[in-house]
This record gives sequence, C-alpha cells and structure tokens, in this order.
Amino acid sequence: MNGTFEDKLLSELKAQMAVRPSGEHIPARRRTGRRLLMAAGVVGVAAAAVVAVPWATGSGSPAYAVTKNADGSVTLTLREFRAPETVERDLAATGVRADIAYMPLGKRCDVSRYRPLAEDQANMPTKEEMESDDPAKRATVLQKLENRPSGKAVRLRDDITIYPRRIAPGWTLVIDIAENPRTPTADDPGVAWQFSAGLTDGPVRPCRLVDDPSAFRIGDATPPPGS
Amino acid sequence: MRLKQAGPGGMAGDPEAFEAFYRRHFDEVTRFLARRVDDPHTVADLVAEVFLAVIDSAHTYRPALGSETAWLYGVTRNTLLAERRRAARELQAGRRIAGRRLLEPDDVARLEERIDAEATAREALHAMGELPEGERALLELVVVDQLTLTEAASALGIRQGTARVRLHRARRWLRRAPGVVPPLVMEGLR
Repeated sequence: MNGTFEDKLLSELKAQMAVRPSGEHIPARRRTGRRLLMAAGVVGVAAAAVVAVPWATGSGSPAYAVTKNADGSVTLTLREFRAPETVERDLAATGVRADIAYMPLGKRCDVSRYRPLAEDQANMPTKEEMESDDPAKRATVLQKLENRPSGKAVRLRDDITIYPRRIAPGWTLVIDIAENPRTPTADDPGVAWQFSAGLTDGPVRPCRLVDDPSAFRIGDATPPPGS
Repeated sequence: MRLKQAGPGGMAGDPEAFEAFYRRHFDEVTRFLARRVDDPHTVADLVAEVFLAVIDSAHTYRPALGSETAWLYGVTRNTLLAERRRAARELQAGRRIAGRRLLEPDDVARLEERIDAEATAREALHAMGELPEGERALLELVVVDQLTLTEAASALGIRQGTARVRLHRARRWLRRAPGVVPPLVMEGLR
C-alpha cells in the first residue's frame, strides 16, 4: 500500500462517511429505547449463525445490561451499539470471554477474524437448507444451528442468553453485530441489525470489514419456530 | 446545518469539507496526542478515533460557543480520556478503524520523531500532575497546547471567568513548585 498514514487514514475515514446516511445527523441518544425482537429468517454467513433483526422500539434507558440468572446463564440486553469493550469487560466478570465488534449493516468481518470450532463448521446447514422457503426445512435449519456448540452457548430470544458452562476454558465467544444506520419505519421496513455469534478455540483478530450484500434482505419477518 | 462549508458543522455528509478539515487539523491533533502518549501505535489509533468522533459529532459544533480549534480540542481530549478509561487489555476489536494497521515503517518513524519532539511538553505535563484536575486541564491547554484562554475554556466547557480564576490559581501553584517548572510552562503564563 502506498501513501502516508495521513493519506491512508483519510481514505478510511471517507469510506466510513460513505456508509453513513449522507448529511443525516445522528443524535447521540438516537439509539435508546430499542428492544431486541426476534423475527425474520435465519441467514447464514461463514460458519456463524446470523439473525436479521427488524426494527422495534420499546422502553428502557441504559445502553446495555448484563444479568446473571439463577440457572447460571447470563442475559445480555443491548439497546445501543457502542463501547463494546465495556460490554466485554462486564461479560468477563461473569466468566464469559467475549470479543464484540459493531459494524454498519452491509458489512461483515472477513474470515480472518476467527476460526470457528471444528464442530460448528462440520454441522453448518447446507446452502440450499439456508435459503429454503419451506417452513419445515427452516425449522430443521434452526434446530441444526442450535445443536451446534455455539448454538448451545448463545441463544437469541428477546435478549441474548449466554450459557457459560457451554463455553470451555480457553474458548472465546465472538459476537458481531451489523447495525443499519438508517432507521427502518413501518412504511419503509428494513433490517435494523444483524447478529452473529460463534465460538473459537483460537485467537480472535480485529474485524476487517468486507461487503455483505445479502445483509439488507429482510426475510419473511416471522418468528422462527420455538420462539 | 449551521455552518456552510467552512466548519465542522457543514461537513457531516460532505467528504470534501471533511477532507479540508482533516488536512487543516491532522498535524495539531497528532501533536496533541504525541504530547500525552508515547507509543506511536496508540497515537495512530487515537488519531483515527478522534476523526471518527469528528464525523460522528460534527453536528454538535456551535460556532457561537467557540472556534473550530477549541471544539476539536474538546473532541480530542474526550477521546483521550475515553482511551484512558478503557480496560487495560489490548483491545482492537470493535474499533471501526484501527489506525495502527495503516502504519508503514516510515509512518512509525515519523510518529516517533514527533513523540520525541514533544518530550519537553510531556515533562511539563508530568510536573502539572499534582494540580487539581480542573486547573491542570486548563493549564495544559493554555501553556502546553498553546490555545487561547477563550479556546481552552470552550474546549473544557467552562466559562471564561472561571477559566481566568483557575489559571490564576494554577499560576500561583506553579511559582511555588520548587524547580520542577520547565521554562516552557512559565512562558505561556506571561
């Protein structure tokens, strides 16, 4: 790569500007009051289970909450996608080593980020299964995803539930969330954000963003079976 | 948009206006950080964070409240404070741009030179470490970063009158500090 740090940084910054809605002011508090609503279909990217989440509003003010449950699980409620390191720190306090990255919708981390567990990779649904519209097949896909080690360690319902006893010592939970900078509305529905979780027994590298053209597919917006 | 072209307020969605702003301030932001952080990679990360924050918060700039420079120093200072609050462990994930990944050996050398050039300033900042927070922050901006009193007050979000009082107190304290005050510090107080 040529050019000085100053030039290279400028072009990265301009690329960041390009993925934001032009001229739109993003008030700091814009992201409050959002609750996770599980809906839409399951879409696959790499070996992680990715769920597209349509926009939903509700009440609540803190940016996020980490709650320890009586059964040993940990509930992660995200309302604003910022300061991933404080979320990581709070998760670490509950015994979960996590690596979280936020990115704009339409981007995802490339494969260099982490190597998923072999067992996760081996039990990945096929491409045809993932893209099928048949409800029975979709149920099978979900079951398959949930039976993998990462599916057992993380469940996305109303919130994100993490089961620390399913995460072996030395493993890292990688959570990538892609957020739509544009707020979808009832008239103009869209994917609000996309959630992807995976486990690795290897190192986790910084997220290198690559394009993810499938991200804006909204799916059929029906809750998956069992939710 | 409150300000056409010229200032940060007008560049929210305008890459050219942003580029002009970036070129105008890249050096001073880098120097500000080099006075406070002595690792070139961290400086690179922070420069990236500062300008990302500029993109995110350009709309918060109000010309009535102070100059563009004062506003930018406020943003830079907040970024640095956020970095210091960050958990001790090495954390690159979640950063939208890791500045250090863009560094070539030449860039590292240039940043190191810049960091060396700011060694006296770092000593001065160290000497000020014992002052109460409010006075120290102001003194830093005025004597080390060479902002005007008005700009420094606006970067810290305090009134000019308050700033004047704090500066006066800081100055008295410095006179009593035995032998630790580098000439640079006193120079800014005349």
